[in-house]
Amino acid sequence: MKIFSHYKKKYGAKFFLAVFFVMCETICDLILPAILSQIIDVGIAGKNMEYVLLKGGLMLFITALGAIAASARNVISSTVSQKFGTELRLDLYKKIQTLSLENIEHFDKASLVTRLTNDVTQIQTLVNGLMRIFIKGPFLCVGSLIMAIQLNAKLASILAVVIPIVGMLIFMNMKMGFPLFIKVQQVLDQLNGVMREYLSGVRVVKAFNRFDYEVEKFNKVNQELQLKSVKAMRIISVFGPGIMLTVNFGIVIVLWFGGKYVHLGEMQAGHIIAFINYMTQILFSLLLISMVFNMFVRAKASTERVNEVFSQVNTMKWDHYPRESTAIKGRVDFQNVYFSYGKIAEEAVLKNVTMTCLPGERIGIIGSTGSGKSSLIQLIPRFYDVTSGSVKVNGEDVKDVNPKWIREKMGIVPQQSILFTGTVLDNIKWGRENATAEEIETAARIAQAHDFIIALPEGYQTKVGQGGVNFSGGQKQRIAIARAIVRKPEILILDDATSAVDVLTEEKIKEALKQYAEKLTCLIVAQRIVSVMDLDRIIVLDQGEIVGVGKHSELMESSEVYREIFYSQIGKEM
Amino acid sequence: MSQKDEQKTERNPSSSDNVGGIRGSLSGRRGRVPIVKPKNFLATFKRLWHYMGKEKNVLAYILLFLLIESFLTLLGPYLIGLSIDSMAASNGFVDFKALEIVVMALILVYVASGILTFLQGWLMAGMSQRIIANIRRVLFNKLQSLPIAFFDIHPHGELMSRLSNDIDNISGTISQSTIQLLSGSIMIVGSLTMMMVLSPFLTAVNLLTACLVILLARVIANKTSTLFKEQQTQLGRLNSHIEETISGIQLVKAFNHEDKVIAAFDDVNMKLCEVGLKAQIWSGFLMPLMNVINNFGVALIAIIGGVLAIKSIITIGVIASFLSYSRQFTRPLNDLANVFNLLQSGIAGAERVFEILDEQEETGDLPNAMVLKNPKGHVVFENVSFGYRPDVSILKNISFLSTEGSSTALVGPTGAGKTTIVNLVTRFYDVTNGRILIDGIDIREYTRDSLRRCFGIVLQDAYLFSGTISENIKYGKPDATDEEVKNAAKMANAHRFISMLPKQYETQLSENGANLSQGQRQLLAITRAILAKPSILILDEATSSIDTRTELHIQDALLKIMQGHTSFIIAHRLNTIRGANNILVIDHGEIVEEGNHDFLIQNEGVYYQMFFDQFKILREYRV
Repeated sequence: MKIFSHYKKKYGAKFFLAVFFVMCETICDLILPAILSQIIDVGIAGKNMEYVLLKGGLMLFITALGAIAASARNVISSTVSQKFGTELRLDLYKKIQTLSLENIEHFDKASLVTRLTNDVTQIQTLVNGLMRIFIKGPFLCVGSLIMAIQLNAKLASILAVVIPIVGMLIFMNMKMGFPLFIKVQQVLDQLNGVMREYLSGVRVVKAFNRFDYEVEKFNKVNQELQLKSVKAMRIISVFGPGIMLTVNFGIVIVLWFGGKYVHLGEMQAGHIIAFINYMTQILFSLLLISMVFNMFVRAKASTERVNEVFSQVNTMKWDHYPRESTAIKGRVDFQNVYFSYGKIAEEAVLKNVTMTCLPGERIGIIGSTGSGKSSLIQLIPRFYDVTSGSVKVNGEDVKDVNPKWIREKMGIVPQQSILFTGTVLDNIKWGRENATAEEIETAARIAQAHDFIIALPEGYQTKVGQGGVNFSGGQKQRIAIARAIVRKPEILILDDATSAVDVLTEEKIKEALKQYAEKLTCLIVAQRIVSVMDLDRIIVLDQGEIVGVGKHSELMESSEVYREIFYSQIGKEM
Repeated sequence: MSQKDEQKTERNPSSSDNVGGIRGSLSGRRGRVPIVKPKNFLATFKRLWHYMGKEKNVLAYILLFLLIESFLTLLGPYLIGLSIDSMAASNGFVDFKALEIVVMALILVYVASGILTFLQGWLMAGMSQRIIANIRRVLFNKLQSLPIAFFDIHPHGELMSRLSNDIDNISGTISQSTIQLLSGSIMIVGSLTMMMVLSPFLTAVNLLTACLVILLARVIANKTSTLFKEQQTQLGRLNSHIEETISGIQLVKAFNHEDKVIAAFDDVNMKLCEVGLKAQIWSGFLMPLMNVINNFGVALIAIIGGVLAIKSIITIGVIASFLSYSRQFTRPLNDLANVFNLLQSGIAGAERVFEILDEQEETGDLPNAMVLKNPKGHVVFENVSFGYRPDVSILKNISFLSTEGSSTALVGPTGAGKTTIVNLVTRFYDVTNGRILIDGIDIREYTRDSLRRCFGIVLQDAYLFSGTISENIKYGKPDATDEEVKNAAKMANAHRFISMLPKQYETQLSENGANLSQGQRQLLAITRAILAKPSILILDEATSSIDTRTELHIQDALLKIMQGHTSFIIAHRLNTIRGANNILVIDHGEIVEEGNHDFLIQNEGVYYQMFFDQFKILREYRV
């Protein structure tokens, strides 16, 4: 809970103001039965009309007072919890955005989304609840107890029996019910798993005719769920009436002994009514307390998950933001680079990689899946830090400089072309905020995207659906390339970014790039050999090592792996 | 949902007149549900009633218990009033005889209603879960008989929500809403009657405050419902922003856009805060204000009742009982609207479930359908036309022949209709016109079961189930021995990587084999197909997502199993299909060229163009 101290400082005063109003509200609630009993015992029994009206008026007044307190509490608690939740969410989001990819990979991306949405909401609900019932429960309990004892201490000794029993029943209910409901949830997850699998694999199921097997699997879990749910619900059906019965017995006992005390003149009828009233209030306050407990349990898990993110320490450090060096532009050096994701124990993805990309050079990188192509590329914009060795951009070791400085110089087109919601124009502009319409069109033309974009009914203003569902893979890739080009980078990195673009179009893109910027350093990762074979230099990777560097003709002579790739795609006889 | 729960219980202790014993459920299932109105409430309700089936007896018992219990609950406050009167009748002298009787009666009432509540809960738990499990089973069974088209049209997320959320809603409807609605109604009518009996004048006063409560609830509900809708929209916007920027976080970083996305987040987040705050404050006013009105009512009853009691028109006991009844009257009144909304959304859920149950099933087998035994794999397409929708035809007049043991390749641009041909031959869909023959007989004359048994299908996305590797391989032939599994794996070149895993064939796979590489998954899918010993093999882009070097190794395995099998291969890498006996070039649903590789190259047509486009640079290079 350490991270919350910051919020405590900010919202603490208001929080306690809300608590203060809750207390006022509770006091008003507690006074009302007492006045009512006075009306009955003094006013009615004494046939004092004036007293009845006076006390009745007092009741109305206190009711109004309670209402004002409750309303004030509502406004304050709503404001505090909403603002707190909003701020917590923003801070969490900021934190995530500043973490390195290595940090982020600790978490599943989907789980980061839930942390930002559900978990924050859960904590927000708890904070709101704290201001409303956390204080109210115990306060109501103690207040009612005091009022009851004040009415008649001897009668109040009944409470010493009833309250522990009720408390125990509530406790047992939670103790026995909780694990059962958790089990129900688990079986429900299982059932959902079976159904999700069935839906995703429905073609396989049908192709292999395995309905019976699937049905059997489903029935088993379904039955299990039924049994577990019934068991959990039946626990409640025992304790619910049990608690009610205990309290109701308490009422009967109060009536009986109360009758005796009234007979002895120690009490009056109105007191009995008030006493019963306080007793039921105590029960509800116990229920409130148990509810707070539930909320805590729920929010605790969320708090832990949010805390986990906050406690991440950025693994990347840097000293400076170098001044613009005009000497070298668009040069990349790798020196004896070793790299592995996460722990050192894992096998290195890159081993002893040494290479240099000179300004203006166009370099292809090819190799099997898992040979380390993408990993190599990702070290250049410092998405990850090398395990050993060094990566230099324009002569600066990336380990020493702010990643922002490096990334400013780059245009990157990732393997999965992600488009954001907005128009096509917005998406290309994403590369550079202040790009002119002309620049955008130029970039789109180079990426061979202009023609298909203007063929759309709304042209550049066409809306992109979430994830770019309304564009084909090739179109998305071309928009992503335009986005990188509009940035006017010194180094352009295409990470298998033309896999869905046909060979001819890809050729045109490369040609246009060459003409557009002669000094632009290009690194092109590809699966297709035709994508790289006409580049200045080709680097062949196999199992994390460079096994060949050179032009196509040289590699056909010298590299076994390169030849293998070539023949697997082109065929032997060509 | 939790918020409302709190509010509900929070309201109770603030009542200042709770003398009548208590009655309430600990498991309030009253969420703030979006109100979804069912299209046909009554018809759906009737149909749901049908599913009660044998449970109708249990339901009758539950209703009987409910009725008695409600009556007893109504009796409680009256008895307490009597006991108070027995104390206050003559000042200072308590009528113990009367008190004794009343107390005994109270004990009886409380014990009886406790037992009845328990029985209700107990029976209800069993009944509702039995019904739900049954509906879920029926629905899942229905899924088995639905055509593939159904799963293609409906997004999985939507189907999942029907299978889980909607059924959950039904369960809530059965076990809670209906009962609450009934018991609430009984309480309202009963309390009103008792109040009228006790004092018509006070009843009039009470009805006045009740009207105020309803009016207030209405006003606030109207105000908040628009706010909540707005909140939902903003929440949706925030969620999609989060979703987008988290899944694209690498891109955000690559373009140095951290500050930009944070600013955008801040903007939506603030808007959400604004509307959320309004919604929460408004809805938060409901409970305190209701409380005020209720307490106001109590004060009024105390004053007027007091005046009446002084004038000896009523007794003190009557005031005490009356206060309890007024509470029992207004409480369900407040809840009823909410419960009714729950009921409605439950019924709407049932409606969506029934929609699936009403879906057209896969056409059954013909009455005298044949079992396809030992198929040879002679496949003929005769003037086959097909459209997924009647107005759009995907395949036009397709005719070709695949002889026993031959391999047929289907090539052409995306959307040309290649996969549709596969869907037709396996009867995932039925042809619109023309016919498909296997071993000389229309496939519609075979039982679907035996027909599908003769295919081994490997799809681009090799779907694996959670379970062990061996279970997955055995999926097509559950009774296969370990030896058979191993042999199939060896044939598919999968044995090597499997034996390198720590637990080998017993390695547990997560859902869709996420812990394996794409290539390994594909090898397992091929092994699975081999083990099933199909006579016709279908490879639908089976190697497209694997890099070409890995493909070389799989290709080996594929060539091995293609021998002696009729096979259909779909691939966009033309190199993959060069060796096929017959290549069908398909475009816009028609066969535009047909022949083997050499023939098509000589022909210098579409295939020639496609083949050499791929290698255009290569040609330039050679010049």
